[in-house]
Amino acid sequence: MLSFFRKLSLSDKVKEGILPYGVMATPEDLLKAKNQSSLLLKDENELRETIYDLLRTIKDPEKPQTLEELDVVYEDCVYINKPTTKGVSVIRIEFNPTVPHCSLATLIGLCIRVKLERHLIASFKLDIYIKEGAHATEDEINKQINDKERIAAAMENPNLRDLVEKCIQEEE
Amino acid sequence: MGSLELKQSLSGHKGRVWNVCWHPKGNSLASCGEDRTIRIWANESSKWVVKTILAEGHQRTVREVSWSPCGNYIASASFDATTAIWDKKAGQFECNVTLEGHEHEVKSVSWSRSGQLLSTCSRDKSVWIWEAADDEYECASVISCHAQDVKKVKWHPHEDTLASASYDDTVRIFKEDAYSDWVCTATLNSHTSTVWSLSFDSTGNRLATCSDDKTVKIWQEYKPGNEAGISTENNESVWKCCCTLSGYHSRPIYDIDWCKLTGLIATACGDDIIRIFREDTDSNPNQPSFSMVCTTDDAHTQDVNSVQWNPVVPGQLASASDDGLVKIWLYSE
Amino acid sequence: MASRFSGALQLTDLDDFITPSLECIKPIEIPKSKAKTGAKIKIQEDGAYVELNESGTSEKLQKVEITLADCLACSGCITSAESVLVTQQSQEELLRVLQENQNFRENGKQEEARFIVVSLSVQPVLSLAERYGLDPESATRKLAGHFRQLGADMILDMTAADDFSLLESAREFIERYKSSQDNVKGQIPMLASSCPGWVCYAEKTHGNFILPYISVTKSPQQVMGSLVKYHLTKYKGLPPERVYHISVMPCYDKKLEASREDFYNELKQTRDVDCVITSIELENMLISQGVSLNDVESGEIDRPFGAYNKEQSDKILWGHQGSGSGGYAHFIFQYAAYHLFQEANTTVEFKNLRNPDFKEAVLEKDGKILLRFAIANGFKNIQNLVQKLKRGKSPYHYVEVMACPSGCLNGGAQIRPQDGLQPRELAAKLETVYHSLPLSKPEENCVTLSLYTTWLEGEHSDKSAAFLHTQYHEIEKMNTALAIKW
Repeated sequence: MLSFFRKLSLSDKVKEGILPYGVMATPEDLLKAKNQSSLLLKDENELRETIYDLLRTIKDPEKPQTLEELDVVYEDCVYINKPTTKGVSVIRIEFNPTVPHCSLATLIGLCIRVKLERHLIASFKLDIYIKEGAHATEDEINKQINDKERIAAAMENPNLRDLVEKCIQEEE
Repeated sequence: MGSLELKQSLSGHKGRVWNVCWHPKGNSLASCGEDRTIRIWANESSKWVVKTILAEGHQRTVREVSWSPCGNYIASASFDATTAIWDKKAGQFECNVTLEGHEHEVKSVSWSRSGQLLSTCSRDKSVWIWEAADDEYECASVISCHAQDVKKVKWHPHEDTLASASYDDTVRIFKEDAYSDWVCTATLNSHTSTVWSLSFDSTGNRLATCSDDKTVKIWQEYKPGNEAGISTENNESVWKCCCTLSGYHSRPIYDIDWCKLTGLIATACGDDIIRIFREDTDSNPNQPSFSMVCTTDDAHTQDVNSVQWNPVVPGQLASASDDGLVKIWLYSE
Repeated sequence: MASRFSGALQLTDLDDFITPSLECIKPIEIPKSKAKTGAKIKIQEDGAYVELNESGTSEKLQKVEITLADCLACSGCITSAESVLVTQQSQEELLRVLQENQNFRENGKQEEARFIVVSLSVQPVLSLAERYGLDPESATRKLAGHFRQLGADMILDMTAADDFSLLESAREFIERYKSSQDNVKGQIPMLASSCPGWVCYAEKTHGNFILPYISVTKSPQQVMGSLVKYHLTKYKGLPPERVYHISVMPCYDKKLEASREDFYNELKQTRDVDCVITSIELENMLISQGVSLNDVESGEIDRPFGAYNKEQSDKILWGHQGSGSGGYAHFIFQYAAYHLFQEANTTVEFKNLRNPDFKEAVLEKDGKILLRFAIANGFKNIQNLVQKLKRGKSPYHYVEVMACPSGCLNGGAQIRPQDGLQPRELAAKLETVYHSLPLSKPEENCVTLSLYTTWLEGEHSDKSAAFLHTQYHEIEKMNTALAIKW
């Protein structure tokens, strides 16, 4: 099922990286896209399905398998929470890291965030957490993967960005 | 109750705009962002237009810009781990000095009141203090007190006292000791998550902080020998959290500014809303109370990253957002 | 608790203390799995990793061991490597080795027992003397007694090594100065090399730009290492790997220096310095034994290579003119003034510039400045020095660079002031005591002079170069995505 929430036309523009120099979505593009799709944001289930659709094909940074195959993400890991004061959807993803290796867990969090922020047209706020009890230092990891400044800086590191791009690349 | 009227929406930046800073004369505005540029906007016949675009100064996101108190220099902090100093001596703004030394991204830069000291902070957990003399900048101190990423540094409005906000949930105050070493004289503990920003009030005796924990806290300085009888150590002031504003913000609060002219507090929040708070007229100095006098639900279509009150025009506010826009507002009651 | 590493090393992420098991990205050989899907790995209560196979059976996964050498050779997570080395050179490890040695001896296993040598540097001695209210000589004797009690075989003072470093540095300076007059680049200013906080920071942060300027002369600790393992051993008829060399130092940065690959003999699998123990750790050891240094029975310092000279053969602790960090700037200044400009016995006066940690001295003649030397202590002054150098604006011929404000007397692991004194005030106090010690003049140290003959076969010999000089390596930041800390 083709989802209206997916950025079909903008996907080429943004494939090179989050707003790389010279190939950027202007505020007008984004505004238009978001305004159009906010109307379609009626069905919570559809939103959850779309999100999960995007998550499950993300590849693990280390292994040649997807997050779904490794049980890192699963259908019930997407939660739609109470919207903000203004009515913007708040999405919560809980994932299950494969090994307690910190840098892998943070990388997975990074991949999830970048994929969703890039491919979901609807306005939303995103919180990503490690499934409670799945990691010794989950509080630290959760804080890091929800700090948008840290995420933005990380994605400006070419090596990290390349790895993330590889992991979130959709097989066309 | 008041209202915030949108005067103009300034587009031009590509990608998120992280910060805005008014010129000390209040007649121009600098903004910076993900597109690695700094834009200077000025008011021409009641319309704000972009006057200069400073590109090629940084290799990565420009996170914060700050005008020097004299208005002749701009300092810009970037994720490329450098801080650039721009001046207009050659007629146009040029980057003539680049301050290096931080190990990781520089998150904030701030000029002291006198313009002779500059402070920067970084993800490398350190706060640096630089002395400016004839366009030569020398490192005066490297302070490694914070346990984590330092998000913001701001100088006291009158003294050479520095405050920093960090990912380690604390705010620290720094002063120069008798041996010309910069030391941490107070640690403010109360927030339960990253402190994103802070702002002194006009006297410098109070501090407003905003955090990832969705609260704003007001802190009061108690100097040694204070009337309230709060004990102090080492002849240094202590800071106590005397008010917490919770329940107003639904997402992390990224920036806060306490207007030195009007006393109003503006907050920039991750729920796309700009809120204005004012101290109640019957507020008790040691236990002040604040009320929210304005909330602008449709301020921006994405996270608001920065707010700043015009230092000269009362009620004029600038904001910057992930939506790529800079907006000019006027608050009135 | 304040870090015991210098400010420069603190900034390069030393405080993270992440254990290698979390951050190590050393490629490990994983045998190819025949299973089609990814492995599910569970962590048991005892911390062991167990892999669940498809059939439902579980297989305990082997813990991967990384050796210290492997760890340090990889520049990926120098942070955790450095915390690893700190554990490997702790007081616990020291006591364990001493205890093990004692056991060998008691059980008649002489061949397995090692010959234990302790080298004392002057700053920790002064630190402990101050702490326990002793005069420097008594403190030295008490320390000697204490180590002997613990099982050490020989206790040495490091003056000869200090003088080697001073002499070699001075000679190197003359050569560099002359080269720079011939327009060779990267020679002047010469920057001191005895501080590992400075050297490691330079290698990590400024790389190949700054390394050519750093003196190739080894620090006294490492000169001592060579002396003990490759000359003293000949006296004792022992192979180098049978000697366990402990050095007593004022900071943790010296532990990092001792672990450098350049100071490790691959063939014999032995380090020049096996364990660095600091002032504060010695204090802890005494406290945990419930002993005060005052109550320890005094012992004697060994003199396998003779005494400084006949007149002062009773003196056991020496100082040098100039700073409490070894007096490099002072000595090289006078040496250069004489050898380059024929000015003998010049007065050397270091004046404070912007702050007491940045001092300058000049040699002026007929209105012309012949030499301009500086002493730069502390990270901020190192910063300013390097930045000026990068912009080509450094006016100095030599800079004594030390990572700790107030120099080695205020080293990161010196004992903290007891009675409400500020660290700077304590350092100043120690400096006064330091200047009351008998003065060693490197060119007149009979031990050093004779060793040039008996050990090194001459002042410009191959052996001199091999044992007294070292090299530096730019450390590249690890770039693999999995290792990047963001």
